[in-house]
Amino acid sequence: MDCEKILNLFRSELITVNVGPKLLATSLEMQGYKAYQVEWKPMAGGDKEMQEILTLLGGVD
Amino acid sequence: MSVFVKIEKGRYIDSLETLYASSVLVEQDGIVAGYVGVGNDPFKDTVTSSGLNSPDLKEATGNDLVIIAEAADKAAFDAAVAAVYASFEVEASAQVEESFVSTKAAVQKHPEINLCSVSVPGEYAYTEVKKALNAGLHCVVFSNNVPLNQEREMKLLAREKGLLCMGPDCGVANINGAALVLSSINNRGPFGIVGASGTGIQHVAAIMHEAGSGVSQTIGTGGNDCKDAVGGIMMLMGIDAMEADPETKYIALISRKPGDTVLPKLLERIKTCKKPVVALFMGCDREVVEASGAIYASSLDDCAIQCLKLIGIDYPLATEEELVKIASEEVKKYAPEQKYLRGLYTGGTYMDEAANAMIPRIGAIWSNCPIQPEWKLEDSYVSKDNSCVDYGEEEFTLGRPHPAIDPSIRKPAILREAMDPEVAVIVLDFILTPPGHMDPTGYVLDDVKMAQQVAEAEGRHLTFIASVLGTTADLQDKNKQERQLREAGVIVCQTNYRAAVLASEIIRQIKEG
Repeated sequence: MDCEKILNLFRSELITVNVGPKLLATSLEMQGYKAYQVEWKPMAGGDKEMQEILTLLGGVD
Repeated sequence: MSVFVKIEKGRYIDSLETLYASSVLVEQDGIVAGYVGVGNDPFKDTVTSSGLNSPDLKEATGNDLVIIAEAADKAAFDAAVAAVYASFEVEASAQVEESFVSTKAAVQKHPEINLCSVSVPGEYAYTEVKKALNAGLHCVVFSNNVPLNQEREMKLLAREKGLLCMGPDCGVANINGAALVLSSINNRGPFGIVGASGTGIQHVAAIMHEAGSGVSQTIGTGGNDCKDAVGGIMMLMGIDAMEADPETKYIALISRKPGDTVLPKLLERIKTCKKPVVALFMGCDREVVEASGAIYASSLDDCAIQCLKLIGIDYPLATEEELVKIASEEVKKYAPEQKYLRGLYTGGTYMDEAANAMIPRIGAIWSNCPIQPEWKLEDSYVSKDNSCVDYGEEEFTLGRPHPAIDPSIRKPAILREAMDPEVAVIVLDFILTPPGHMDPTGYVLDDVKMAQQVAEAEGRHLTFIASVLGTTADLQDKNKQERQLREAGVIVCQTNYRAAVLASEIIRQIKEG
């Protein structure tokens, strides 16, 4: 397998975007690594029917 | 006393904010019991099963903030709600430098981002991981309960793009020196570890650190990667990456027994690997592993020892004879009715390892996740004879963080088990990680001391045995954690396996009289 992208990661400064509890981003910052946070919440307020409709329409991002 | 509810529509908070806010709520004057969370089904179940209920709760959804409490009066509840909201402000001010509405928006502003850490509820993980992979990011996915077909799909997409997809259910990975998710902080060194067991990776890496060596990178694949339904995609990619990485000189592989179609692929790949491989495939025969050219490891401890041998380090672990000797000193101290052990574990890998070490010495180990189905505890809160309970199991953690982060899940069990006059030995594991509790051993020491005092006052002696998984580089400092335990009279073993051997050896010797 071509590992170039993985080796690039190993050679680069690790910079993370965290989608989930903020604690995981702050714990990276505490170790001296850069981390950005996504303020994630369930699409369509967790409404399953509405989520399916939005997914069919291409989702929201 | 009455139950009061406050619902704020359209405000989502994550499970860790929930934990913090709940702790603030119950500390307030006039609050008997209470919870803060979003109004999803697990939260409603937790609340109602604890005896709090309100018709208003029905209207809350998974996107609404709910504060519910049994309070002395409305004024006390209102004051507590104000305190919870004030705590949100404090949390907000402690936020990371910059936040975004989506991964895409974050990458647009910061194209240098190279990793996405995903820990949303399992049903949403697939969507978020696909977005990240399509944005060119490697992923570490802590979310669990992701269907295996979705796991396979996300890993196929990752492979197609040449990107890592560590997990789902990946608790441990160390990339470029960073401890991701629930990993320990480790020294860098020549060993690359690819593992389908988070605890396994953390365990082996911690011993390497302790021995003065370290890891180049560790790739957690998630516990399901080597099952036939997923196909070992990330394990195979991990071997490729470690083989290609110039900083990795030796490769360690850790997994429960890989699936029937995955094992031959892994063995074939090991055969052609240009670097030395140590393989711990639990439940696989030595001959099968050695035929691939790999060095066979029989256990987590052995995996670390075999790796260290490759760089000429002989790492001494307590021998069984030494543990038998410690046990023979302990058995002199008990009252006649004391004859059982109770293991209180924060994770499944360690509980399984412990139970497997105990069974040959003392037979059946009752558990919420037993080694044999007939040893299943009817009620996980009521132990029986020799028992081990995994507090990382879903029945305890649904809607709550892992016990390494929230040790309050296990805490009440210490006194509960200690009050049983037939108990002689209590075994505890502790896990250190940057997002974890900052003083996990200190958090339970008062209970340990009280348990010992009560036992002594009743003419009994309680033996506490513990092991601490982590390193001296961890923010909690392994040395400090172990010292605190020893000062409280706890016997600290070097590893989980050794703690289990000692505990069961004590029980065996009691039985033999």
